[in-house]
Amino acid sequence: MKPHPWPGDTRCVVFVSVNFDAEAFDLKTTSEDRLYGRFSYGRYGVRAGLPRLVNMLERRSIAATAFVTASDAVRHPDAIRVLRDAGHEIASRGANLTPLTELKDKERDALQEGRDVLARIAGRPPRGFRAPGGELGPRSLALLAELGFAYDSSFQDDDHPYVIAPTGSTRLAELPTVQALDDSFVFSARHTHARVMKIWREEFDALYRENCLVPLTLHLRGDVGSTRAARIAALEELLAYMASRPGVRFMTGGQLADLALASAASAEDDPLAPHAATLAVTPYRGDLAVKPI
Amino acid sequence: MAMHTKLPDEFRCAVTLGVDFDGPSHEVGRGIAPLGTHSWGRYSARCGIPRHIEMLTRQGVPCTFFVPGYDAQCHPDTVRAIDAAGFEVAAHGYLHEAWDLGAEEETLLLHRTDEILRDLLGKPVLGWRSPSGRKTANTMRVLKALGYLYDSSDKDYDLPYRLRFGEAGEDCILELPNNTYSLDDFPFFKFSFTPPSEVLAQWKSEFDAIYASDRFMVLTVHPRSGWGSGTPARTWILEQMISYMKEHAGVRFFSSGQFARWCIDHPQHLEEVRVP
Repeated sequence: MKPHPWPGDTRCVVFVSVNFDAEAFDLKTTSEDRLYGRFSYGRYGVRAGLPRLVNMLERRSIAATAFVTASDAVRHPDAIRVLRDAGHEIASRGANLTPLTELKDKERDALQEGRDVLARIAGRPPRGFRAPGGELGPRSLALLAELGFAYDSSFQDDDHPYVIAPTGSTRLAELPTVQALDDSFVFSARHTHARVMKIWREEFDALYRENCLVPLTLHLRGDVGSTRAARIAALEELLAYMASRPGVRFMTGGQLADLALASAASAEDDPLAPHAATLAVTPYRGDLAVKPI
Repeated sequence: MAMHTKLPDEFRCAVTLGVDFDGPSHEVGRGIAPLGTHSWGRYSARCGIPRHIEMLTRQGVPCTFFVPGYDAQCHPDTVRAIDAAGFEVAAHGYLHEAWDLGAEEETLLLHRTDEILRDLLGKPVLGWRSPSGRKTANTMRVLKALGYLYDSSDKDYDLPYRLRFGEAGEDCILELPNNTYSLDDFPFFKFSFTPPSEVLAQWKSEFDAIYASDRFMVLTVHPRSGWGSGTPARTWILEQMISYMKEHAGVRFFSSGQFARWCIDHPQHLEEVRVP
């Protein structure tokens, strides 16, 4: 097993991130004039969920990292400032939730818009990025580094942060997450919050034993998110349990990126390069996923 | 030859463990760049395989790693490490083909992966497991021509058997059937989001029933992230499962290749089947 990278007597780092995904998410499947009824779960996340989450994190003295699209930030500038003033990091999730892979030659503009809008509203440019839908295009990492981002948090391929060199002269920290610690998948399958907490406690215990990063990915939304009163209560109990374990430390994305970038570990080459030739001659079969009968 | 396979009393229950490598081949084969949310396969070589090797070594049990040829090309050192740790490396498609192949392309890809693994390890490959479970009458002919002892893809029985094939059933390969709905990790972590402890309880229950009846257990996991078991909590339940099976009297662990050899050496215990 690789030696763990944590400083001092830290044994395990919990990275609480929040995918803001308010109307930006509903607008993937509906239009502006229909943001009512079933398409108002995103607005719930801002009106009801955000204050509840911010209060709970304050009780627990935990600084989180919120990934926000430019479109949601423009719609809810006060919510962004509430998060910032409560000590949370504001990071980018692009212009809106259109996958970067679909943007073609508009990708750079979209990433820049995501950065500049947050800089204007939050007062400082975001240092981190998480891709809409987790979809990164072949040039995304290089563009992020070029636009001054310090880290990406879209991969799900390691137990610890690491550093990528998307081009010869640029460095980008990668803060990988894990699906098992993302609320939206389990709540999307309509499981109970008790079940989610059972999964998360088991996942945490094992990650803690092995000194890994614990990347907890939350959503604000009223449907697949964690901000309803009962879910927040369950989550608070879990966070209290994590905090009670010796050597557990909570860090924001920016703090983790600083740690990774300052480490002596060498940067990895562009992750796409080894596969580019095969992908160029392989047809798309992404719809082949095994589905339930 | 036996009417129905019945394992002898010299061991109470045979267990074969399988780790299906499923690295970036899984995504790249479908034309998807292994970036962002599609990077689960990268976890296999970075974390999952080393963690599984370490755990299996600690437990002292054999295991077969089924490796797609493309993943072996991308991660030759990882495949050598599997072999150096004493585990079997077997074939698992080239780009984890999860679609129907024509006979010509299938033959080509089976040969390609065989050559990659054989060159890498300097020894013959003994077996194959279909990526995604697709297999045809042609597959067995090619596997046999490559000198393979066994296939582990069919889902039609609970015990090993001798599978006859060819125009008049003149040829034969050993079949070690598996089940990807119950004795596998991905249904629980991809579809039902079952907590690891409940997956462990489910596998124990499967084992209890098998130990009391057919006495042949084939358990398969994947070292990737996402729906796989490379991560700490899921590797931990696999280790708990191995400990649980070891506690039972007369349980003997085999690699798939070792067990295939045992079956071939004891044909009197095995049923012969010809699929019409």
